[in-house]
Amino acid sequence: MQVHPRRRFIALTAAVLASVTACGQNDGGDSGQDASEYPSENLDWTVAFGPGGGNDIMARTIVDILEKEKLYPKNIAVQNREGGSGATGWGYLFKKKGDPYVISTTSGSFITTPLESDTGWTYKDFTTVGLFAADAALFVVTKKSGIASWQEWVAHAKKKGTVAVGGIGTVNVDFILHDLLSTKAGYKTDYVPFDEEGQLLTALTSGALEALVSNPGEVMGQVESGDMVPLLFTGRESLSKLPDVPTGESLGYTDLPTMPRGLILPPGVSREVRDWWIKTMRKVVQTKRWQDYLVANDLVEDLRWGDDFTTFLDETSEEFERILKERGAI
Amino acid sequence: MYVDILNHLGTGIATVLSPENLLLLALGVLVGMVIGVMPGLGPSAGIAILLPLTFDLDPTGAIVMLAAIYYGAMYGGTITSVLINTPGESATVASTFDGFPLARQGRAGPALVMAAVASFVAGTIGTILITLAAPAMAAVATSFGPPELFLLVVAGLLTLIVVIGRNRLLGALSALIGFAIATVGVDVGGGAQRYTFGSPELINGIDFIPVAIGLFGVGEVLYSVYRGGHLEKLGYFAVKARERGFWPTRKDLRESRGPMLRGSLLGFLVGTAPGAGATVASLMSYSVEKAVSKTPQKFGKGAMAGLVGPEAANNGASAGAMVPLLTLGIPGSASTAILLGGFLMWGLQPGPLLMEQNPEFAWGLIASMYLGNAMLLLVNVFCIPLFASIARVPFHILAPIIIVLCAFGTYTVNGSMVEVAVMLGCGILGFFMRRYGMSPAALVIAVVLGPVAEQTLRQTLIISHGSPAIFFERGASVVLLALMAALVLLPLLLSALRRRRVSTDHDSAEPVARR
Repeated sequence: MQVHPRRRFIALTAAVLASVTACGQNDGGDSGQDASEYPSENLDWTVAFGPGGGNDIMARTIVDILEKEKLYPKNIAVQNREGGSGATGWGYLFKKKGDPYVISTTSGSFITTPLESDTGWTYKDFTTVGLFAADAALFVVTKKSGIASWQEWVAHAKKKGTVAVGGIGTVNVDFILHDLLSTKAGYKTDYVPFDEEGQLLTALTSGALEALVSNPGEVMGQVESGDMVPLLFTGRESLSKLPDVPTGESLGYTDLPTMPRGLILPPGVSREVRDWWIKTMRKVVQTKRWQDYLVANDLVEDLRWGDDFTTFLDETSEEFERILKERGAI
Repeated sequence: MYVDILNHLGTGIATVLSPENLLLLALGVLVGMVIGVMPGLGPSAGIAILLPLTFDLDPTGAIVMLAAIYYGAMYGGTITSVLINTPGESATVASTFDGFPLARQGRAGPALVMAAVASFVAGTIGTILITLAAPAMAAVATSFGPPELFLLVVAGLLTLIVVIGRNRLLGALSALIGFAIATVGVDVGGGAQRYTFGSPELINGIDFIPVAIGLFGVGEVLYSVYRGGHLEKLGYFAVKARERGFWPTRKDLRESRGPMLRGSLLGFLVGTAPGAGATVASLMSYSVEKAVSKTPQKFGKGAMAGLVGPEAANNGASAGAMVPLLTLGIPGSASTAILLGGFLMWGLQPGPLLMEQNPEFAWGLIASMYLGNAMLLLVNVFCIPLFASIARVPFHILAPIIIVLCAFGTYTVNGSMVEVAVMLGCGILGFFMRRYGMSPAALVIAVVLGPVAEQTLRQTLIISHGSPAIFFERGASVVLLALMAALVLLPLLLSALRRRRVSTDHDSAEPVARR
């Protein structure tokens, strides 16, 4: 059903005013009802990051599908509970033990934040619903560098001895990717950590860095215009928008880590509720809207339900911990 | 080529002028101002709160509204800086230096009006520069790596010299406390935790907002009560809106012309560099204005130029930050980073091709910046008398309200009680700093710029293997070094020149304004 634009506009106006006057009210409803009639209450959906980021967009896309396809019978309230690289939002979920009406989407920090600080929880504590997609990275250089392929890059880096490369953060997948790639290819790097994508990109364009890894979405504009050249994609399959860019696997770098885009419930939620969500999410990931979302956000589909998702988290977390400890980052 | 630009701009304005979009524009400015007036909530918070609501709008309508919120919130922050000495966000810290003294002299009316005019002028100049020179400016943005950013932040830190006041030792101590606070959190360079005691709340460090609100807002209230301010009548708006003294005098306008133009251009240029943006721009503008002023001794005691320059600079920088966003798809500030998220959400691919592939959207945004600025000035002319009447409330009633608002605003930003505690702690610190003649402003500047300076310096030194020679090897760095040298030497040079001129002719003194 198409809502008339004007009506939507009036609704928006009202919503804006309401949100200004009643900002951030939320009472996290009772819990612990019998699973047979699940779901029968409003859902409290936590986004552990701010609006407009990758996690937020995924959460709102899923909620939109659940509502449009009438898969969830009651209201869903999305709340951004940001802070401490996800510690606040997932900490909130952790405290709601056994509550089947609280839910959250995951991203890379779900693994790295507990490694980095004393959050009081790790990924192991939560009830896992499923993994839907892997967030892989693109390795890029500038056009000015004259480097056009991964082989040329490796040759250049070896000849130079040490190259300055960049990414976001230290206890993060970007650092690990640079480390794995350079060790396996046999060149040395100076890894420069940034905490903002904008500064990372201009560090590359200004010539301070020679290469960087980034979410494909963040550099796609620069790649499309030809200002930046992608050399390698860390996903298992090629990006649909950039079919010619080789994957790490095709170049002989197996098991490059990717970040989990999945769904979790608080600790100790019943098996019935988890199964309800697995069943529902299987429908969600088949919709055209979801498939469009994957393409638009450069995500590679990677479906792992329930315990398979837990195994994936185990493997990724162990790998991260090992490398970060070796390098003295944690 | 310019015909093309005019055509595009015409299309953009036509798009924005639909009744729906105009209403969104007015609504955005108003909502933005209301959000900005809340201590702690600035443009990036405003955009973040309202972004999800725009996902159902068409992209042009959404961006029109968000741009309006951006400007509205920016100005809302100025209102609190001037009236209650509480910067709502880092870009309006410099506005408290002379804005609040002006208000205490009963000149809040002229101060707010002139700040609005400065915002309008700078926003418009910035938008004109985007219209004509965005692609050329993009080259500036792409030449900014960590070394350049570090130098830019150091230029901002030079303001410390200007604000620490008479007691150099206490001033330097204030700044050092600020730098110490800034070290809390995960060290981006190595991943180690510093002074977090394992607390997840402190992983990202101590935010500037609770510190500034506590030091300025709560600290000022406590100090006023200590001095017996609650027994006095507040003289902020000695004159009513209908009377002449409420509006700026011709002298105010004349004094503001130079600072406004300099601030606009400086702000726009600094704003195009990702990372430093409006805060550095406004602080630099304050130093520049004091350096070139004929009456530098008035700064900090209610000099109109000391308010108008930074106000123009922070709005100019907001416009400048749009340059890398529109031309490169690179966010230059927290607010534009959130806007970039919005672009993706609306199905647009930010990047160098955005303006070609989605001219209606890009030019609609630019057109809405013109109209948003005009709308802001219009709304303000009606709103300032309203704010004036609120500020006539006796201080013994206003003081508790300010403290409640400070706590509420701090909590709303991240929903964190730890930050409220930090805010209240800083309030007490702020009181004692005032009592013993230390400089809260220096502390806050250090908190804002310290982490950026540290991070960019470390990035630079990783790249150069520890050699500072890198600052002299990169073209953009050398240009910045030269500009900084000029900024430091200019006041010395000017005062020397002036001394000579005063001895030769006696007409250089400003004639007193006729009334």
